[in-house]
This record gives sequence, structure tokens and C-alpha cells, in this order.
Amino acid sequence: MKRTWFLLSVVLGVVAAACTSSKGANPQSASPGGASSAQSASSGEVVNITLWHGYEAPAPGGPPNYEAISLKNLIDTFNATHPTIQVRDVFCCSNDFALQKLTVALQGDKQPDIAYEYGSSMPQLATTPKVVDLTQRVNDPSYAWDDFFPGERAVTTVDGKVLGIPALVDNLAIVYNQTLFDKVGLSYPSSDWTWDEFRAAAKALTVPAAKQFGWSFPADASEDTVWHYDAMLWEAGGDILTSDNKKAAFDSPAGLEALTALQEMAVTDKAVFVDLQNSGKADTLFNSGKIGMMVTGPWALPSYPDVKYGVQIMPSFPGGNHQTIAGPDNWVLFDNGPARVDAAWTFMKWFTAPEQVLADSLACGHLPTRASVGSMPGFASFGTKYPGVGAFVANLSNVLKARPQISTYPKISTAMGQAIVSVLLGQASPQEALSKAAQEVDTTLSIP
Amino acid sequence: MQAIRRALSSETVSGWAFVLPSFALIALFGLIPIGWALLLSLQKSNLISPETPFVGLANYRALAHDPLFRETLGHMLIYTGLFVPISIVAALGVAVALNRSVWFIRLYRTAFFVPVVASTIATSIMFLWLFDKNFGLANFLLGKVGLGPFGFFDSPSNGALYSIVAVTVWGWIGFDVIIYLAALQGIPRELLEAAEIDGAGRWSTFRNVTVPLLGPATMLLIVWSSINAFQLFDEVYFITKGGPLNHTLVPVLYLFQLAFQQGIAGYAAAIAYVLFFFILLLTVVQFWVGNRVVHYSS
Repeated sequence: MKRTWFLLSVVLGVVAAACTSSKGANPQSASPGGASSAQSASSGEVVNITLWHGYEAPAPGGPPNYEAISLKNLIDTFNATHPTIQVRDVFCCSNDFALQKLTVALQGDKQPDIAYEYGSSMPQLATTPKVVDLTQRVNDPSYAWDDFFPGERAVTTVDGKVLGIPALVDNLAIVYNQTLFDKVGLSYPSSDWTWDEFRAAAKALTVPAAKQFGWSFPADASEDTVWHYDAMLWEAGGDILTSDNKKAAFDSPAGLEALTALQEMAVTDKAVFVDLQNSGKADTLFNSGKIGMMVTGPWALPSYPDVKYGVQIMPSFPGGNHQTIAGPDNWVLFDNGPARVDAAWTFMKWFTAPEQVLADSLACGHLPTRASVGSMPGFASFGTKYPGVGAFVANLSNVLKARPQISTYPKISTAMGQAIVSVLLGQASPQEALSKAAQEVDTTLSIP
Repeated sequence: MQAIRRALSSETVSGWAFVLPSFALIALFGLIPIGWALLLSLQKSNLISPETPFVGLANYRALAHDPLFRETLGHMLIYTGLFVPISIVAALGVAVALNRSVWFIRLYRTAFFVPVVASTIATSIMFLWLFDKNFGLANFLLGKVGLGPFGFFDSPSNGALYSIVAVTVWGWIGFDVIIYLAALQGIPRELLEAAEIDGAGRWSTFRNVTVPLLGPATMLLIVWSSINAFQLFDEVYFITKGGPLNHTLVPVLYLFQLAFQQGIAGYAAAIAYVLFFFILLLTVVQFWVGNRVVHYSS
């Protein structure tokens, strides 16, 4: 009996430890490289600041990471030309974990001065007073804040306060396999395509015997599912929430039109590879010639080395316009004393000036975050250097709306994701799914 | 002076000196987080904001009315009800088969243990393709014998959960086999010989001598596997992400999503404590039953 109780207590200890470690803010993941340098600096002293990013150094012998090289080069240039400020760049983590790492760092008061964060994380970050409010600084006319695309600026802003600087901008467009189009004698997608034409093409590209699909749609009910739908919703003239962010607005004729288009292609035509796990399968299949069209962003192009592909902007609904959705990421500044905040802003101001944005775009193929860069003389070589990406640059002007920047957005996204997937699986009609999701969203929003 | 020296050289002090390093680690990474999680479960917190208002038992009360949480508990029970018996019975069969001297026996034993040490991410990616509805080898082979195609992870019903059971049984069976192999080799030869002399056949010996003597090992595996099953996370996180349509959403994944994707950490901590309570209850029941069924200690 004594043995038993000893074993039981050991087991319980293990259970408890395991329970909490899978739940809690585990202290062991606190990453180094937070606040380490000068706390405050009087004039003349060097101010050291730290910048967290997600550009991993390549494995020895692996292909070079041009994004990391570009960032490093720019920081080196800054450090050489600004002797009183020294920026140290630290690889924090994959960007997917940037918010988690920062959460832990904030708990221990070890936050970096600048960190790369997803735009969708902004409402959560806004709840800590350690995030620096940049509203006054960006509105200095010399910074030309309006030069950033409206969709980017919207994502930096929570409750009217600017809390970030656009770091990277992407958008969705059609990437299509030219060989498969040629095989069935279809003409390539044009810039005035409608979703009806898209549907017909997807159907023509579907060959059940060869397990070939016309299109692929991410269906893990995550934000990846939702933002693909959002673009269609906006094109149909709809919106996610009412303008005061108080009620769901997607349960509308526009929302129904967009979701019905998805249903017709996925359920009626069976022309869509419904990617329920969304773990990279679809990219592999497109690269193997098993999928005719993807709606994806410029980041995916390096995954398609075996396919002769073209890029075209998204189709429109009858009477609507061509829109897309951007997923901008931000540089967020954290308060480690006024001297370091000033130094961090001095760096950011230089780093996101048109010249540096242009240099970064040319060095690694990022879409320029500032509109003026597109018309700078140096930018002309971009299209030839990065084939396909040029269409995404042009598509930036089709970014007209942004997702609501409110802290309850993850719950709204979850409800919409479930609705979309239930339709793609043929388990609910578009109207049923939208009504149910809208009801859930309204409940969420009604809780203060 | 004498008294101090005697005290310092006493067994109590040296005993504590030996356990202190482990105790400090367990306290730091075990006990403190447990206490902190309890506090967290009584607060409204997103882990970022310094404002963490105390809400009393509101998180626990909300949990009682959360239909999704109830759904995750259902999935957890179905999963545990399948995973525990299947993995233990299969492991017993494998262990008996491997408990003999044939050529390359060590190779076979190693082969069964490889999945336990293989990275879950790697095996998850493998199963994603193996069990793919359209392109997977499993459906291809089943098609050859006129079965399927099956949706596996794509099944919008419990089929996805059953596929997760298959993946995890494959992944953990090696561990159970090792425990059973050790226990089998601890069975005194004279007992088996005595049974043989008394005229018991192979099945009768297995049923009446081997299985009862394996009781303590079986007990350990049932408790351990059940706890493991209640805490299922890696496979559903990597393979199905709880989908399709939450059909493989289990409590630990749910609380992870709440805490780290939706910023509802206080509520998630409450789920952790409720889960902890369920595991405690299950373990106590298992030991209570075990003490009445298992008569041999190893």
C-alpha cells in the first residue's frame, strides 16, 4: 500500500507538471537578447538597442537567406553612419511565434526595443503600456506617413493610436499553372476575369481520374481560411463587421454571394482541393501539376520551382471591383526608457525611409511598403529580377480594406472559419452557416 | 559543537542534500507554475496586459456552459477508450512474440521502439501523406483490395479521431512493448515449468500464469497511457489542428488555442485545472480498482 501511494504521488507530480507546462507561460522559453544594454544615455554616449526579427540564418551550405542578408546590410549601414546608436539584430523565432516570445519577454521585463510582429497581434499588444505610441512621431510631415498604403496603416492602428510601422506587406492573387491551361486549351486568366469565369476554368482544369484539381482552398478553419474568404466578401461589396465594430456584417447578400461561389466550386463542381489540414500539401501538389490555380501570395512563389506559372489579380463579382487582402506585418517599438525609445525611432525612421525600402525590395524581393517606391527610377529593375512578384506589386493598389483591429478578432475569425469549412464540406448551406456564425460573433461582440 | 556535527552528518541532512537539486528544479518548473496557474485561472488575463482583474470562479462557471469544452471532453473520452485498450493489448501480443530467441530478435525489438523516439512532427508529416484521401498510399493499397477510399483525417465525423488513434498507437506501442518485455523476463521460470508439469497447455499457462504475473506492469501501463491520452496534443496540433470542424479538438489543444491564439489565458488555465482534476480522479479510481484486481507485486 505504501508503494502505491509513493507511486501515486510521483504520478501526480508528473501529471501536474505536464498539465501546467502545456498550458502556462513556460519560463524556459524566455529567450535571451532582451534588455541588455545601456539603460539611459546622456548625450554623446552610445545607445545600444535590440531588434528582434524572424529571418533565420541559413544552415551551413544551404541557400542564402536574402531577407536576412538585406536586413543585416541595412543595419550595418545604419550603425556605420550613426555612431551614437548601435542596433543589434537578434533572430527571435519563426514569425508564427513572435507574439508568444514577446509575451514571455514582457512578463520578465526583458522586451527588445523593436520587434517584428504580425498585424493581427496588434490589438493584443495594445493592452500593454510598454508598447510605444507612435502617433505623434509618424505624423511628422517629414516622415510622409501617407506614403504607406492605407491597408498597411490600418493594421498599425488600434483605437486611433499608431502602434507599429509597416515591416512587410503581402497580398493575394491568382497563381496559375500555364502548362495545365495550355493542355485544356484555356486562355490564361485576364485582369478583367469574373468569378464565373474562374469557376469555369477551375471546372475545366479538374480531372478526377488523374486526381487533378482546378483550385485549392485552405480549410483548416484558421485565419488562413478566413482571409481568403474576406477578399471575396469585400469584392462582392460586403464587410466583416459594421463600421462601429459592434455587429457582424458578413451575413449579408454580399457574404452569401461570396460563400455560394465557394460552395458551387467545392461542392457542386468538386473542382477544389479542400485542404483540411493546410500544412503545405497544396503547395506541393501545385508544384507537382496536380492543381491548376492557387490564390496565394508572393511568399509561395519559391515553392513552385517545377511549374511554369503566371500571376494575375483576383477575379471580380458582377458589378463589383477587383480587390485583394493584405496581411501586413509591423515593427513594434517597446519602452525601455526614453533614450532607447528615441534611438529606436531614429533607426526606424531611417530604416523605413523610401531609399531603404527600395534597397530592401531590390535585395530580397519584398513588395515595397511605400507607394512612392514603385515610381522611383531604381525600381524599374524589380520586375525583371523577380518575375511574377511584379503582379503582386501592382495588386497593392487593390488593397482597399483591412480586417477589424479589435482584441476579439480571433474569436470572430474562429466563428467565420468554422462556417466556411462547414460549407466547403457540404455540411451546411451558405445561408445557414453565415447566420450561425453571425449569431456567435454578435454574442462575442456584445460582451464588454 | 558536537551536536551540530552530529546533526550535519545525520541521515536527514545528507538525504536532503541529495534531493535538493531535484527538489529545486521541480519547485521551480513544477510547483510554482502550478500555483501560478491556479491564480491565473481566477483572473481575466491575456498574459500581455498588466491589468489582470480578479474574477473569482467566473472562468470555471463559464466552463460549465461551454458546449465546445463539453465536445472536447467527449473526444478525449472516445480517444482514451480506444487508445488505452488497443495499445496495451497489441503491445502484449507483440511483447510475447518478441520474447523468444530467434534470429535478429534485437533488430525486431529496436524496430518497434523506433516510432517512440522518432520526432512527432516528422511522423505527423508522413501520416498526412500516407493517409491522404486522394494521394495516400493507404487508400491506394486499400483500393487494391476493393476497400475505400476513406477520408481518414478528412472525415467530417469521428473518422478523423480514429485515424489519430491509429497514428498514436503506432507511435507509442514500442514503449508499452518494452515495459511488457521487461516484465515477461521477470516471470520466474519455475512457475512456468510448474504449470507445464501440472499439464497446463500454452494458452492456459499464458492465461493463468503469465497474464496475472504481468498485473503490475499492466496497471502501470493503464495509468500511464490514460494520463497520456488525456493530454493528447502533438498529433492533433500538427496533423488536424483540431479539425475538420473541431472533430479532433481535445481539451489540451483547446486550451492552447484559447491561451496563445485568442489571448484568453485565465479561462484556459481553468480548463487546465479541470483537466487536472479529471486525471486525478481517474488515477485514484484506477489505483482503487487495481488494488483489488492486481495481486502480485513485481
